[in-house]
Amino acid sequence: MTSKRSLTPYLQVTPLALVLLVFFIVPIALVLIVSFFRYQMLVGLTPDFTFDNYLDVLTNPTTWRLYFSTVKFTLIVLALTFVIGFWIAYFLVFHIRNLLVSIGLFLVCTVPFWTSNIIRMISWRPILGKEGLINQALLDSGVVAHPLTWLLYSDFSVVIAYVHLNTMFMIVPIFNSMARIDRALLEVAVDAGATRWEAVWNIVLPLSKTGIALGALFVVTLVMGDFFVVSVMSGGLSGSATTGMFNDLQFLNYPRAAANAVILLIVVLLIAAGIFRLVDVRKELVR
Amino acid sequence: MNEAMLAPDSTRPSDRASGEIRLVDVTKSFAPGSYAVKDINLTIPDGSYCCLLGPSGCGKTTILRMIAGHETPTSGEITIGGQSVVGLPPVRRGTAMMFQSYALFPHLSVLDNVAFYLKMRGVGKDERRRQARAMLERVQLDHLRDRVPAQLSGGQQQRVALARSLITNPRVLLLDEPLSALDEFLRLRMRGELKSLQAELGITFVHVTHTQPEAIALADLVVVMDTGQIDQAAPASTIFNQPTTPYVARFMGGQNVLTGKVEGQSGELLRMRTAEGWTFEMPAGQSPPAPGTTASAAIRRDRVTLRKRDAEGAVPANAVPGVVEATEYQGSYIKVTLNTGMVHAFVANVGDAAYAAEPVVAGDAVLASWLPADVHVLTKPDLGDAGVPYLDISH
Repeated sequence: MTSKRSLTPYLQVTPLALVLLVFFIVPIALVLIVSFFRYQMLVGLTPDFTFDNYLDVLTNPTTWRLYFSTVKFTLIVLALTFVIGFWIAYFLVFHIRNLLVSIGLFLVCTVPFWTSNIIRMISWRPILGKEGLINQALLDSGVVAHPLTWLLYSDFSVVIAYVHLNTMFMIVPIFNSMARIDRALLEVAVDAGATRWEAVWNIVLPLSKTGIALGALFVVTLVMGDFFVVSVMSGGLSGSATTGMFNDLQFLNYPRAAANAVILLIVVLLIAAGIFRLVDVRKELVR
Repeated sequence: MNEAMLAPDSTRPSDRASGEIRLVDVTKSFAPGSYAVKDINLTIPDGSYCCLLGPSGCGKTTILRMIAGHETPTSGEITIGGQSVVGLPPVRRGTAMMFQSYALFPHLSVLDNVAFYLKMRGVGKDERRRQARAMLERVQLDHLRDRVPAQLSGGQQQRVALARSLITNPRVLLLDEPLSALDEFLRLRMRGELKSLQAELGITFVHVTHTQPEAIALADLVVVMDTGQIDQAAPASTIFNQPTTPYVARFMGGQNVLTGKVEGQSGELLRMRTAEGWTFEMPAGQSPPAPGTTASAAIRRDRVTLRKRDAEGAVPANAVPGVVEATEYQGSYIKVTLNTGMVHAFVANVGDAAYAAEPVVAGDAVLASWLPADVHVLTKPDLGDAGVPYLDISH
């Protein structure tokens, strides 16, 4: 009887533990193991324990260039999605008095997600392209003599696409944090003589911290792990850390791709750890 | 205690600005055609403790928020210390508000919570922290200054909220149900603290509550409200002993309301006859209702004498017959509820000695009688639609 009872909690966690094991731990363990294998052109993989793949990746200037480019995009996109997401969430939570209107507008924010990623990106082409809407308008109004070429297939268009795709992931957790703020706190601020800016700075911003951290975590992982958006929107001119892996996989160089993946994983984990250090996100999740 | 400790800075004038609040024909409407409060006229003297008392939704919080500047009246005038404040932000009214459930900033320490009002007024960090510590010492919470509100008990949170509102040295402190979040024991203690604090500071306190004993215990001026209007504004003893309307009489508890036709006046005494045929007399007062009109009178519960009644005899004047419905032991007295056939139960609070002399139990037929001097006429007849008591406190 007693032994049966002590088994119960283990049985209860078994299904989830199995799911985690099969779909999370095993694949990562495989990647980790393969990253130490030896790769020989035309021969294939040989089981081994070598750091050559890591050395190869880390000494390659292309890796550093791609990582630099990825981190640059991540930071720019993080800043933009935070500013845009924070104010959209602020508007929805504190300026729309009617809950139904607020929920309705919130759903409007999700409209772009009703279609696929590819469609959303391709739809930028007729806007940003050489003969696109913006360039036509600028040409016709005589602002520019030649179409702007940096609008599409550039870092600019990559950032535009990232912000477009990822702002929602910033809005949702910030909205969630803000919705829990007691309105009376803002009235206290008004009572104390705070301006709207002071109230946002002293109350809304610190109390939205966990939401901002969660949103940042989403955006960082999504941008750091992206390969597709950057290649499509830059027209192949820019790459991301994942582009290196993709190239290795094309040559069936699984060990080097795996080593690269492990490095990327460590980098993202470090960033996540940094965010968790700044803000106790767990507090938000268990609340 | 030390007055100087309260001062936010040394430049504070020694004679405090007047905290007299005047509301003239104030109306607030949130939606066309319906009124939260209507035609409110009220003067709260400087340095008094005023309680706005009424059931939920009667408009008392709306009045408080209009005085605070968190709502703008639809029409009417509000002055504080003789100066019109309509349209002014709270910070320029010299008021401070203590919010219901305190609304402490969860992310700030106790010290920074108290210092917040000064921070918004541009007081430097060291200075505002020094003043906040002095304020916390005053409410005996200095040892908790580095905690966050979640780590405090309800009573401690209340004192932090008080300290936070008082740090700017307001001339009026507005309290929105300040005691409702506390348990019974703390409520009584904090009630005492509020009263002595007000006496010590000498500033005007306006306190919103729906609890009668709270209002009676605290207020110099009790304002009883019913659905957007003031029924009676008077000192607590007047409200309790001489309610003017059936609503106030019932809401404050302690009174039985009887309604009948005025038969006439003989000397100082007014005679009234109920639909049941019972008659009673009462002092006519200043402006007695005309003979033939319907009027209501209130009889204090604790002035009612009960006698067992065996014969189906005629009912004498100044008495009603009834059957005991319930008895409730209250310590110093026993609350006896009678069924008299009227809409509202008739309640007699019988002293424990009197009860011991002639105990009654449920089902006993009794006669409840009283002296004409313990009855007084109400200005409005009880038409049955006057607000039903929200909390029937049996004092």
